[in-house]
Amino acid sequence: MSDDSLPLALPLLRFAAGPSEVTALYRELRKPLLRYLVCLGVSSDEAQDVVQDAFVSLERHLAAGGTQENIRGWLFRVAHNGARNRQTSYHRRFGEALDAEMHFVAGDATPEKALLEKEKFRRLRRAIGLLTDSERECLLLRAGGLRYREIGEVLGMATSTVGDTIERAIKKLAEKCNV
Amino acid sequence: MCDVQGKLVAWLDQELPEQEAAEVERHVRGCAECLSEREAYEQVSGTFDAYCDAVTAAKTRRRVPRWVAALSGVAVAVAVAVLFPSFPRTRVEPRPVHAPVAATLPVTGVAPTAAPGKKVHRAHAPVPRAEERATRWRRAESAVQIAIPAEAMFPPGAMPEGMSFIAEVSIGPDGSVERLRLRP
Repeated sequence: MSDDSLPLALPLLRFAAGPSEVTALYRELRKPLLRYLVCLGVSSDEAQDVVQDAFVSLERHLAAGGTQENIRGWLFRVAHNGARNRQTSYHRRFGEALDAEMHFVAGDATPEKALLEKEKFRRLRRAIGLLTDSERECLLLRAGGLRYREIGEVLGMATSTVGDTIERAIKKLAEKCNV
Repeated sequence: MCDVQGKLVAWLDQELPEQEAAEVERHVRGCAECLSEREAYEQVSGTFDAYCDAVTAAKTRRRVPRWVAALSGVAVAVAVAVLFPSFPRTRVEPRPVHAPVAATLPVTGVAPTAAPGKKVHRAHAPVPRAEERATRWRRAESAVQIAIPAEAMFPPGAMPEGMSFIAEVSIGPDGSVERLRLRP
């Protein structure tokens, strides 16, 4: 991601004042959270706001003596709900045409390789468009490094259902992408 | 189709219990079909990750802030103001006037034959001589003023809200930039 240099938002400056668990969590999870939200279809600016709100909520949660178990899953759940509250039709955007291919093939790829990669992306994008909302969300959370149990907590699903959903989604993508 | 294929993704994600994972691993080693499926799942997972990265990069691409663009414009203007006079230019001088003043300038109000001591009513101000007029014309300069909001040049909060700057560019008669002044 190209946003390494983005400054800390104002409410988060206090986190950066000294080393703390929240600061470490912010550094570790900010990017995966942003990626999850942006891939859900939330705009970049709104995703930044949602992530910021999630960490402010985390600070309040910890200050109020809330549970410290599975903070990662907790943050993803808060961000997920924040995204849902902000946008109701976000899910369709992930499958929409973006100039993502250009980024993917940028660099020192040969023209032939770039063309192949572009085509692979095009097929994947079409296949993603065929997934259900929960399949897409499960895959995105899985790509964010969450365990099945954590994904279940974020989406309010049983762990076994998460496993089945991911399995089904991966098979659909593999079939449609002809890999 | 093998029974194990329904567990392949969970096995790849290390979500199976230890014993079950060991069984799947043993099976996959000896089954070409499952091995192929496993490769396909790994590949599609990798492509999905890369696609997510690309989508994120495309959507979060940073734009050049407005103040950077405005500051660049001012910098270019300053650079032009500094460099412009150093360029070799052919100056266009006003042609010297050799003809008698009386022949070129219409004389109004004053009669050359007026009697000494007689009060002459001058209807108009005295007409300047040709050289004088040329000098006056040369001094004339046009100025261009560009209003630039402070927030366009400085980061938010650096300057009081609503403040703006005026970039005043004075252009000499020969078209060169004579002066550039930035004032609040």
